[in-house]
Amino acid sequence: MEFFERFAIPHPSFLIYVAMASMIIGAIVIVAGITYLKKWGYLWREWITTVDHKKIGIMYLIVALLMLFRGGIDAVMLRYQLAMPENTFLDSQHYNEVFTTHGIVMILFMAMPFIIFFFNFLVPLQIGARDVAFPRLNSLSFWLFFMGMGLFNISFVIGGSPDAGWTSYFPLAGNEFSTSVGTNYYMISLQIAGLGTLMTGINFMTTIFRMRAPGMTLMRMPMFTWSALIANVIIVFAFPVLTVALAMGTLDRLAGTQFFTTDNGGMDMLWANLFWVWGHPEVYILILPAFGLFSEIIPVFARRNLYGYTSMVWSMIIISVFSFGVWTHHFFTMGQGALTNSVFSITTMAIAVPTGVKIFNWLFTLYKGKIEMTTPMLYSMLFIPLFTLGGVTGVMLAMSAADYQYHNSMFLVAHFHNVIIPGVVYAMLAGLTFYWPKLFGFMLNEKIGKATAWIMSIGFVLSFIPMYITGLDGQPRRGYTYSEASGYGTLNMVAFIGAMIMSVSFLMLVYNIYYSFRNSPRDIGDDPWDARSLEWATNTPIPEYNFAVLPQIKSREAFWDHKYGGKDKDLFAGQKIERIHMPNKSGVPFIMNVFFFVLGFCLVFSMYIPAIIAFVGVLACMAHRSFEDDHGFYFEVEEIEEIEREKRGAIK
Amino acid sequence: MAHVDTSKPLEYQTEEGRLKILGFWIFLGAEIMLFATLFTCYFVMEGRTGNGPTGAEIFEIGPVLIETFVLLTSSFTIGLAIHAMRLGAKKATINFMIVTLLLGAVFLGVEIYEFYHYAHIGAGITVSGFTSTLLTTLGTHGLHVTFGLFWGTAIILQIAKRGLNNVTANKAFIFSLYWHFLDVVWIFIFSFIYLKGML
Amino acid sequence: MAQFFPKGQVMGFIFSLVLTVAAMLVYFLDMSFGMGMAVLIITAFLQATLQLVVFMHAGESEDKWAIYINVVYGIVIALMTVFGSLLIFNWDM
Repeated sequence: MEFFERFAIPHPSFLIYVAMASMIIGAIVIVAGITYLKKWGYLWREWITTVDHKKIGIMYLIVALLMLFRGGIDAVMLRYQLAMPENTFLDSQHYNEVFTTHGIVMILFMAMPFIIFFFNFLVPLQIGARDVAFPRLNSLSFWLFFMGMGLFNISFVIGGSPDAGWTSYFPLAGNEFSTSVGTNYYMISLQIAGLGTLMTGINFMTTIFRMRAPGMTLMRMPMFTWSALIANVIIVFAFPVLTVALAMGTLDRLAGTQFFTTDNGGMDMLWANLFWVWGHPEVYILILPAFGLFSEIIPVFARRNLYGYTSMVWSMIIISVFSFGVWTHHFFTMGQGALTNSVFSITTMAIAVPTGVKIFNWLFTLYKGKIEMTTPMLYSMLFIPLFTLGGVTGVMLAMSAADYQYHNSMFLVAHFHNVIIPGVVYAMLAGLTFYWPKLFGFMLNEKIGKATAWIMSIGFVLSFIPMYITGLDGQPRRGYTYSEASGYGTLNMVAFIGAMIMSVSFLMLVYNIYYSFRNSPRDIGDDPWDARSLEWATNTPIPEYNFAVLPQIKSREAFWDHKYGGKDKDLFAGQKIERIHMPNKSGVPFIMNVFFFVLGFCLVFSMYIPAIIAFVGVLACMAHRSFEDDHGFYFEVEEIEEIEREKRGAIK
Repeated sequence: MAHVDTSKPLEYQTEEGRLKILGFWIFLGAEIMLFATLFTCYFVMEGRTGNGPTGAEIFEIGPVLIETFVLLTSSFTIGLAIHAMRLGAKKATINFMIVTLLLGAVFLGVEIYEFYHYAHIGAGITVSGFTSTLLTTLGTHGLHVTFGLFWGTAIILQIAKRGLNNVTANKAFIFSLYWHFLDVVWIFIFSFIYLKGML
Repeated sequence: MAQFFPKGQVMGFIFSLVLTVAAMLVYFLDMSFGMGMAVLIITAFLQATLQLVVFMHAGESEDKWAIYINVVYGIVIALMTVFGSLLIFNWDM
């Protein structure tokens, strides 16, 4: 019995039992459903073993949406707890756990897979490639990410959630103050998911550098691909820092090293330093692809070229370097000198300049455009003012002297939600609506879509603007309650109402998917929005090889020029279909990551012998890969011709 | 294997091979950052010795010099292996790779001795902020070398069995990049941990 | 046998040995801290460049610009991280 005691929750409550029961019931329903429908073979053949970038992308999307709802439930619980003074819905320990998991889930397991979904789905299509550079590695990346996500999510039913904040600052996160295994989960699951993200970065950098269609120079790439390139550069150089920080944190907790301890020469602030050396570039990893998506959507619905292409590119390149030079602004009050704070204050304000350039470029794209207010465009139009508000409060926070007032207050919470929600979440939803017809062959309902965007924005303003005010009034972040005398009650109630309105809008999104699935017409063609870049030149549904013949690019907006007789009118003309080489499916990445999951789980509970066995399993999968002789397979010319005839593709 | 460009060296002949080489360079970019982070931590923690010893008290020049010259020589021999590979000399390639791995094993042996020695004189990994960071930085490099020994062995076996072709040559070339990179990292460890510590 | 020892790589190896010996002098000559660090920084970066160009053939393929930009970018970011952290913890706290 003693062995099993370690898996118990240290601080159980009714809510956790409900969650536990619903997780178990959910798992049983899924397993039973798949068995009943006899879909295990299909699942294994078509999804688990796939190396197709489009399918891997869709799996990222599914995880992202699931996590959006998990993180969203956390958010509603937090707001409900704070809606009234001295509320007893959550006690302090549960409040700590919920805000910790809300942060990690939303940043690392919702926003990250959402943007990686767009990388996977869009980048090869936009550059006219047939897959990513390393399809097998791509599958490995996904399963690493997936297992990290899984490991993190079982924490609150087995052993206890992490509860030291999403930043997990030491010494709070050390053994002395975080006695449950929660923080072990944090360290190890983020490590596993982070490795997956690092490999995604390498994969997409290589893809974009080497696999562009003939004629597509760097300065002819669609803006989303540019943003993906820069984001992946940042991933490649930022994630190793997280790897080191997490490894050190893990060693501190499991092996008793002295990195972040408070005696024997340990330096707890070093954790904060490393965390933000990674953490700040991470912010740009999230926001740049979001900017990229808006840069795709706005020209389509303003019916104009993107204004200032070159300045857009250079602003992102500058951001990519600067993003590594501002991290100290996350801990101005930590105790370093005025010189350091001044340096980082200035770099922080400077990085707002290239971002401002982009805002102006979008505005100039709209100027004299024939604006068509579709759902994706509506999200983009709501994004510009709301995001600018968040950006301006960011510059307020950048002033290190003033930051002593705002630091760790609700003002900060309002600020970063104000950039992440209109910036990242709106971009993801706009992009999802925009690419939905390419993904699934039908459009989402416009009326419901627009109502969703409006309701979400109303909810957003009601939830977060009050936090600016209570923050300036002194309400601290991460406080599980406050007294009636503080006077924060009314505004927090408003914020709770806003959160409920936002929840309604997310449910409307789900309803829209259901409604459109039932009612939308399926004969929408390959290019329902009259769009501009290459991904719309493919057939819907997209054949496994994407393009039967490779496009020959002569301009920046190749597909638009192709449709309207510009330089690229011969995009696909005069090319013979040749046999196409494609990579084989493989189950090894999945199996390897099952070992990774077991390894991670055993390390969380310091069970070293099974951990070593699982690690040997990981190594065996790597050795198998090294010795395997895999040459892929070919689509023969006749096969391609038949597929294309059926889809009325390249040969019409 | 479509489009084999025979005007290039074996390892660059297929597009797949070229992608892998570029991809590995990008991975090395990530490795630069990984070790830079470790160095950052080391420089911050260097003076934070708590009740434990300082660097000047525990570093010994002897083993460090052996490690340095052994690893430098192995970096030279892996370069020769790639040169021999480009001449199409399978046997010489394998022999140079075996010499490289043997030198790597000697390096690792000395490093294990060094770790054992540190633990013995009261500078184990749990003693102070300084020893934790020192041994983690050295250990990360050592783990890379260990991994390289297994990886290199796998490649030698494949060359021996399948001969030099555009797949095995590509693997050997990428392995050589990895090995040279570990040598570069060691030069920085040698200069900015050991020699700086003994200044 | 001689064809297995190309002149460029042999010279590179000798040069790297010379650089290592030069770095070692820092220890054996009991240099001052400032002087010693200057020597170490020069020898270490020369040594790294040597490995990169002579042994790793960084400039031989059509991707050489991608490779060089990648490495230089990595070094710039690495130096920013190292010196930024030194500023925070060692020089200004």
